[in-house]
Amino acid sequence: MTALFFAEPVLSQRSFSSTYDSSRQVKVQGIVTRIDWVTPTAFFFIDVRDATGTVANWAVDIGSPIELERDGWKRSALRIGDAVAVEGVPARNEARQASAKSVVLTRTGKRLFAPSTTRRAAAPPAPAPRWPDGQIRLGPPPGKTGYWGSASTKILVENTAAKIPMSDDGLLVNIADADKVAPFLPWAKAVYEYRQRRFLRDDPYSRCVPAGGPRQFQMPNGFQFIEQKDLGRILVFLGGGNRNWRVIFTDGRPLGTAAEAVPSYYGFSVGRWEKDTLVVESLGYNEKFWLTSAGLPHTEALHLTERFTRSDLNTLKYEVTVEDPRTYTRPWTGSWTIQWVPDQDIQEYFCEDNSDFVR
Amino acid sequence: MSVHAQEGHPLTGTWSGDWGPTPTQRNHITLVMSWDGKNVTGTINPGPDAIQIGTVALDVTNWTVRIEADGKDQSGKAVHISAEGKIDDLSSAHRKLAGTWTQGTTKGDFRISRD
Repeated sequence: MTALFFAEPVLSQRSFSSTYDSSRQVKVQGIVTRIDWVTPTAFFFIDVRDATGTVANWAVDIGSPIELERDGWKRSALRIGDAVAVEGVPARNEARQASAKSVVLTRTGKRLFAPSTTRRAAAPPAPAPRWPDGQIRLGPPPGKTGYWGSASTKILVENTAAKIPMSDDGLLVNIADADKVAPFLPWAKAVYEYRQRRFLRDDPYSRCVPAGGPRQFQMPNGFQFIEQKDLGRILVFLGGGNRNWRVIFTDGRPLGTAAEAVPSYYGFSVGRWEKDTLVVESLGYNEKFWLTSAGLPHTEALHLTERFTRSDLNTLKYEVTVEDPRTYTRPWTGSWTIQWVPDQDIQEYFCEDNSDFVR
Repeated sequence: MSVHAQEGHPLTGTWSGDWGPTPTQRNHITLVMSWDGKNVTGTINPGPDAIQIGTVALDVTNWTVRIEADGKDQSGKAVHISAEGKIDDLSSAHRKLAGTWTQGTTKGDFRISRD
């Protein structure tokens, strides 16, 4: 192991690909000095002594504490002073930081923070709940709690695209596949490739900018719909990042035009029900965010049509059609599903929560 | 890096800086450019002495930009402007554009950054 002594701030919401180099592995052993059991990413820190006796402190990323707790792990699984052996993926920069693939408690040989084979299941299969008027409920059944959690993917690609090799956060294995992701105009493809070549490190979301557009439905802490039928609107409470909310008007008001709207991260949205699908049209977006972690660009001409279909209690299908003639040659559609988290509330998570330590 | 970066078309926005034939002879310039989906349009020095940009050609293979414009100088004489430069620090909100600037018979360089 090469000793690494340079320091760089760790941004709280950086994507995996921009932070870690999956092509490398690292093994370190040391004594736990600190445990940060915070969202969105839990870390512990260990003092590692090299062959010369020099001690360096490493940050070990063990992922979302919400996911860890669902797997049955608690903060108390590890204590300050414990000796551990860590195998993982090192940071791209020269920081002493790794994403753990394996953490073994030396004194017992027990493997910690491993995914459970008996992970708590989703709620039992059940039909989608409905309001007394028969309309689908996007929130919990009456008298229950819950929220929409993990998306089936963190990437957005055109539905017609064949399987494109890429990381979970959209870093292409082969940059030549960019054409398959979306029907880019030449400038947009060049910008997308530029961001990919820089390993997505320029992602505005990593600087705590809101996850505008479709990306809001791929956030680690999920979201909730608050349906205010008497007010003719649906609020979308976003659990991650800056804990923002978005308003979808369902009172029949017109959409207007992008030129009339104040550009914003979530746009101006109007919704209507088409049978059991909520169809939402939005425009008025600013140009300060990426459509996904993978670096898809857009302009203020962006017009999104989103379709939310709750096919049963546990499943929400999200489909988005992207229209932006200044960025893409034609409208295109991507989709994913989102899993219901029963009987729980969204946990607190602010973007800055992991920004207080420096490597 | 600013959290208010503009992540859309890289030329869209207001750019300011200067041009001149020597390091000491400089002229303030403001360029306002926007992308309409087919062309980049814009204005040099918006206001009473504004010059409409005729063409902007962006080569995305190397992020070079060529700008052509026809206007009038302070004496009212017709003048042609030709600028060619390269975008630097593309991911920054305050990305830069620098290169050569020819205005009439005067040749020099220019340096502008996005506001």
